[in-house]
Amino acid sequence: MSQTIAHSGAEAHAETVHHHELSFFHKYIWSEDHKTIAIQYLFASFFFLIIGGLLAMGVRYQLAFSGAPIPLIGTLLPKWLVTDAGAIQPQGYNGLVTMHATVMVFLVMMPLLVGVFGNFLIPLKIGAPDMAFPFFNALSFWLFLVSGIILLSSYFAPTGFPAAGWTAYAPLSANGAYNGSQAGQSLWCIGLFLNGLASIAGAVNYITTVINMRAPGMKMFRLPLPVWAIFITSILLLLAVPVLSAAAAMLFFDLNFGTSFFEASHYGQPLLWQHLFWFFGHPEVYILVLPAMGLVSEMLAVFSRKPIFGYKAMVYAMVAIGFLGFIVWGHHMFVSGMNLMLSSTFSLSTMVIAVPSAIKTFNWLGTVWGGSIRFTTPMCFALAFVSMFVIGGLSGIYMASTPVDLFIHHTYFIVAHFHYVIFGGSLFGVFGAIYFWFPKMFGRMMNEFWGKVHFVLSFMFFNLTFFPMHNLGLNGMPRRIADPGLYDFLKSQQPLQIFVSLSAFGLGLSTLIFFVNFFYSMFKGPKAPRNPWNSTTLEWTLPSPPGHGNFPVTPTVYNGPYEYSVPGMDQDFLPQNQPAPKTARLAVH
Amino acid sequence: MSFWRSSFARCGLIVAVLLAGLGTCWADPRTSNLWWLPENATEGGVYIDQLIYFILFLTGAVFVLTQAVYIFFIIKYRAKKGVRATYSHGNNRLEIIWTAIPTAIFIGLWGYSNHLWWDVLHSTPPANALQVGVAAYQFGFSFQYPGADGKLGKADANFVSNDNMFGNDPDDPDAKDNFTSSTLEIPVNRAVHIRLDSKDVIHAFYVPQFRVYQDILPGRIIDWVWFTPTKIGKFQLACSQLCGSGHYNMKADIQVVSEADFEKWYQEKAKAVQPQPGAKLSSITETKDQ
Repeated sequence: MSQTIAHSGAEAHAETVHHHELSFFHKYIWSEDHKTIAIQYLFASFFFLIIGGLLAMGVRYQLAFSGAPIPLIGTLLPKWLVTDAGAIQPQGYNGLVTMHATVMVFLVMMPLLVGVFGNFLIPLKIGAPDMAFPFFNALSFWLFLVSGIILLSSYFAPTGFPAAGWTAYAPLSANGAYNGSQAGQSLWCIGLFLNGLASIAGAVNYITTVINMRAPGMKMFRLPLPVWAIFITSILLLLAVPVLSAAAAMLFFDLNFGTSFFEASHYGQPLLWQHLFWFFGHPEVYILVLPAMGLVSEMLAVFSRKPIFGYKAMVYAMVAIGFLGFIVWGHHMFVSGMNLMLSSTFSLSTMVIAVPSAIKTFNWLGTVWGGSIRFTTPMCFALAFVSMFVIGGLSGIYMASTPVDLFIHHTYFIVAHFHYVIFGGSLFGVFGAIYFWFPKMFGRMMNEFWGKVHFVLSFMFFNLTFFPMHNLGLNGMPRRIADPGLYDFLKSQQPLQIFVSLSAFGLGLSTLIFFVNFFYSMFKGPKAPRNPWNSTTLEWTLPSPPGHGNFPVTPTVYNGPYEYSVPGMDQDFLPQNQPAPKTARLAVH
Repeated sequence: MSFWRSSFARCGLIVAVLLAGLGTCWADPRTSNLWWLPENATEGGVYIDQLIYFILFLTGAVFVLTQAVYIFFIIKYRAKKGVRATYSHGNNRLEIIWTAIPTAIFIGLWGYSNHLWWDVLHSTPPANALQVGVAAYQFGFSFQYPGADGKLGKADANFVSNDNMFGNDPDDPDAKDNFTSSTLEIPVNRAVHIRLDSKDVIHAFYVPQFRVYQDILPGRIIDWVWFTPTKIGKFQLACSQLCGSGHYNMKADIQVVSEADFEKWYQEKAKAVQPQPGAKLSSITETKDQ
């Protein structure tokens, strides 16, 4: 019934689509159109991606050329970051590490995956005119942007960036005398609190929209996998993010008002912070990868011209990951000093959560099997996602084993592991998805040749950067050490450190190709047809880009999302809004 | 077209440059063991290394198999004129197989890991284990040894303060003849049972050659870490938990020496501490405000 209500509203709305022009302010600044908000998220994330990337370059520069002044800009940087000669100082390095991770997690990957593709795709793919709460949606974006500005503003504080790591382990983070960046750490708490509000508002919106605003015939099991993925992710966000927000508020009180939630010297509990942080933090890991899994699944199906292998298994695997994601947080804490028995149980749940990831991988293989594969740029990124995710997943098994964690905990092995998941996995998925949905977003095509160049270079440099980090970690290189040359057992690593840094610079530069291609294509790319990839889902039935209000007439859905190469049909795809022709032999599944 | 302008030659050139780069990087590591695990220097480390190799072969096999199949599919099923993709929505029997097999393997691996975790690495330390207190602070370590009585005595996190970094119980006579050292001197082939506490923030006790990592918490004394060094030599203890501006250089030397050398060092140090009956050791007179 809710569908009926939503859609009678939609039809009324659709009639007004072409009758009123929105003012500049309502069209581009305070827009309540989900597509515009998605693009606002996209541009904001790009800005933060460049910032986060530059911070990473700073980290790599320091590890390769410790003590050497940064060329050109060294002396222009603030004093908390560099020495008078322009070389990065240890506390500045801690700040770089902290903010690189904070920016990439909260201001790049979450908004790219959930903000951009959640907003853009959900209404278009389920046949809705917009989000359930457009005002909330706009509010969510602006809260996010403000949170980002607050987080970065600590750059201008005399003591600089927060420097307690993105995990902000208390009591280091809870006391300015310990961490040396009271202002930065306080801004970090405020920033994350607002960022959390933005995520919660977004999550409520996505969940409500998916449940209530599906077009007639769009059963849950006809939802395209990106919608399922973002739907499950939103539930995780709704349950996990409030815990972080509460913890950030408590930390702020400890820092500024003399409370003692986490301060051991006043009988607070340092481990409480870790439990709260990781209770959020582990679902967060899946928040950062589930949407990418959904996006990639769709691209694999489209460019293999095949239905997803095991669609329901894919959905159940994501649901399982969602549930299990809430009982594995302790695997970040095997050696934290918590009860050893808890380590045993968290190790077991962690082993079990590897199963749904394995299921997904096998189903991706199954999807490619027997396909008719087209190697477009988005497909290249989607194919790479699977391999990189396999490496990141398999390296996770080492840490899940408690005795091995005794050795490699907090080393570069873990740095390699999560970059394989979040960069080689999620960010590659996002790159692919941008190439894939760019025509629908901007009405033009991105350049294929330069897309491939971007793919080849980033794939190569990504692996050259992050694969050797496994070796550095196995060799004993701890995370977050500003100058490994000070340790006897790390001195011999220097050549490999330099190699990794040079590769990282290459990786950074290869991303410029993407940005040039993106902005050039926005204005000069060839005009995109409605359905450039011969895809089945509802967004491709609309003009590129779709008008305000999306569907002039509410579509009716007849088929599952991935009916490719159906026997008995001339064309090799059956759009969701078209009844199957009599000759088609659709499988019942 | 000349040979050098062909794309084949260009690809070859790129590969050659890459290999040369890798080769340069390879030369040094061959002698420094850069690419692999550092030598193991404890009894428990042997088991951890075995487990690492086991997981390496397991994950390596899975990686090679899945990637081989994947790449084979990608090449074999590339788009060809007039060939349509297979229309298939999946196969339930396959789903069950590839759910059941990984589940069994992962639970088995957990059993193996968990056995090692409890029965080897965190079993009760032997009675003759050398007790050493380890106190961490911004930004250094200090070590406390039992005096002639061989006992460190009771400790409690509530007693930890600037003047009593190890949290010794001021009323426990066993603690009165304890002495401290700025390096960790330990005998080879004898179990060392460490007791960890921190004065301020979280630090860590990390020695890669010992295959040991443990966070050191303020407000809590951790006493379940023990290991048996098997190699004489100099090692380094690194703080591996970000602990502030001086974290990058928070380390301490570890000397693993022969039992005889250790006895000599120990007797000298212990002699220097002359406990007078009834007198409190100056280092432990002040306790923290309760």
